[in-house]
Amino acid sequence: MAALLEVRGLVKHFPVRGGVLLRKQGIVHAVDSVSFSVERGETLGLVGESGCGKSTVGKTLLRLIEPTAGTVLFEGRDVTKMDRAELRALRRDMQIVFQDPFESLNARHTIGAILEEPLVIHGVGDRASRRRRVAELLDVVGLPPSAAMRFPHEFSGGQRQRVGIARAIALEPKLIVCDEAVSALDVSIQSQILNLLLDLQRDMNLALVFIAHDLAVVRHVSNRVAVMYLGQIVESASAREIYAGPRHPYTQALLSAIPEPSPVDRDARLRSRVVLEGEVPSPIDPPSGCRFHGRCRYARADCATREPVLQRGPADGHEVACHYWAALS
Amino acid sequence: MKNVLEVEDLSVAFATDAGVVDVVGSVGFSVAAGETVGIVGESGCGKSVTALAIMGLLPRPAGVVTGGSIRFDGVELRTLEPDARARYRGRTMSMVFQEPMTALNPVQRIDRQLFEAIRLVAPKASGVDLTRRAIALLSEVGIPAPESRLANYPHELSGGMRQRVLIAMALACRPRLLIADEPTTALDVTIQAQILELIARLQREHGTAVILITHDLGVIAEIADDVVVMYAGRVVEHAKVGPLFANPRHPYTRGLLHSIPRLDREPRTRLPAIAGVVPALSEMPVGCRFRNRCEHAEARCEVEPALEATGKGSLVACVRWRELD
Repeated sequence: MAALLEVRGLVKHFPVRGGVLLRKQGIVHAVDSVSFSVERGETLGLVGESGCGKSTVGKTLLRLIEPTAGTVLFEGRDVTKMDRAELRALRRDMQIVFQDPFESLNARHTIGAILEEPLVIHGVGDRASRRRRVAELLDVVGLPPSAAMRFPHEFSGGQRQRVGIARAIALEPKLIVCDEAVSALDVSIQSQILNLLLDLQRDMNLALVFIAHDLAVVRHVSNRVAVMYLGQIVESASAREIYAGPRHPYTQALLSAIPEPSPVDRDARLRSRVVLEGEVPSPIDPPSGCRFHGRCRYARADCATREPVLQRGPADGHEVACHYWAALS
Repeated sequence: MKNVLEVEDLSVAFATDAGVVDVVGSVGFSVAAGETVGIVGESGCGKSVTALAIMGLLPRPAGVVTGGSIRFDGVELRTLEPDARARYRGRTMSMVFQEPMTALNPVQRIDRQLFEAIRLVAPKASGVDLTRRAIALLSEVGIPAPESRLANYPHELSGGMRQRVLIAMALACRPRLLIADEPTTALDVTIQAQILELIARLQREHGTAVILITHDLGVIAEIADDVVVMYAGRVVEHAKVGPLFANPRHPYTRGLLHSIPRLDREPRTRLPAIAGVVPALSEMPVGCRFRNRCEHAEARCEVEPALEATGKGSLVACVRWRELD
């Protein structure tokens, strides 16, 4: 069966303008030939540090940002070629939840009106049935019925995210892009929201593209994980495998940098930690060859000239973009 | 080891539109030279207010220390005249904040801001001397080619570099006490590793006492010796890092530890989440402040619990800790 979502060779370049005349001064290579697929009901985690392009990928999937090149096939139809009417229809099946969903919502509308809006836009039901659906949605995400009459500012961060999720599932989509959806929440609230997402996914057979910088959170919710660095996927594998046996030197460094919530053997752990030197280079003029070569402790001469592609690694479904992964392990 | 800082029974209140609210109460701990005390808790638990109270930087006139004692080298800071108090800041105690972009002056070059910090301890330093010291500080915090950074403005630096500059400023006086409030929260995990390593190295080299404030139990496990867990303005548990993680006593500490997704836990399983949310300060329950979210709460919890010793220097504020063990 074909994947629900299939992304091939996705590219997004942003022009950098400057000076008095706002002339084009360079190109930000935000996303460079990214390919992946998502099956029905599964979670693909997209993880990486600031500026790796993960959020741009998420927004491009829904064409909130127009891709420069590549195809995004949703149930076999190319999203990048859809006209306005088709895109609007697509929104029924594909939704996005942001870090703070209320930044994009009208603060003067009640929660009830906010949740009803997608139903109105898509002409779902009559007024009475929409009201019933709003009550049902509030219940599903764990908010009291009285929430419908209240306004966004009356809610805490965790409650707001529940509203954001309720809005996203209102039309029973097949896929939700979660863009740092739990990143701003306190640990005790974050766990509540993660549980909610996992429950909804099971009940609705929802597919999730879960974008976050917190590797432990991503591993917790994902079936498969793709690690991004400077606009490209450097490694992808099942959640279990990528954490148990990371093959790309960047994935290894990223994982070893996570502070583990256990002080046992911490001195030994800190000694064996791979602390990456320097910082991520500018995506305006990304390094030649392997983009990670300047910070990679295993880099060889040809890593600066030959660009690695994502290829089969140690197992089926475990792909690595490194010329020397086999020699390193 | 001699204590550099001793905080005892500290309480802080804020004047709000809704009246005076008790934000922090009965907070106590001490920090010795070379030691790191971690204060951990979620938004609104009072960890940052505690730090500001120690520094004497509570927003005026709203925030007031209403009780307790803050002693630095045995000197009570609370009763000092403002001038005398100010002499501690940037000389013997410094603070690093979460968002270096707001802590740094956006329209002033890095070197000018460093000079200001250096002049606090070396008022007569010449221009050449200031530059030399600024370069040395930047290089000490691991900024490559520090000479070329002096003329930069904060926005020209990355988040990690800005945090290094802030740490350099905090170190200018060779403080005996460094308070770091969420110093790595805005940073990526690989940069966080660099900054935590930097703080640990500087502490080893200079024997600085460090108070590290964070919401991240991973960071606490990594660098704290002693841990203070706060909830809704109260210390709920206080223990050495080993026992705290191996045998947490307070239901809140346990809940917090259980609810973090961990790499050694089975993925895609339900997390044992703590129910509900932290109550607003105006709606705080009487007695144990955690009781409306606590699965073990009972009638006795309506009386505010005192911190009780549980052995090995650990303290817990829960009347039921023995039964829950």
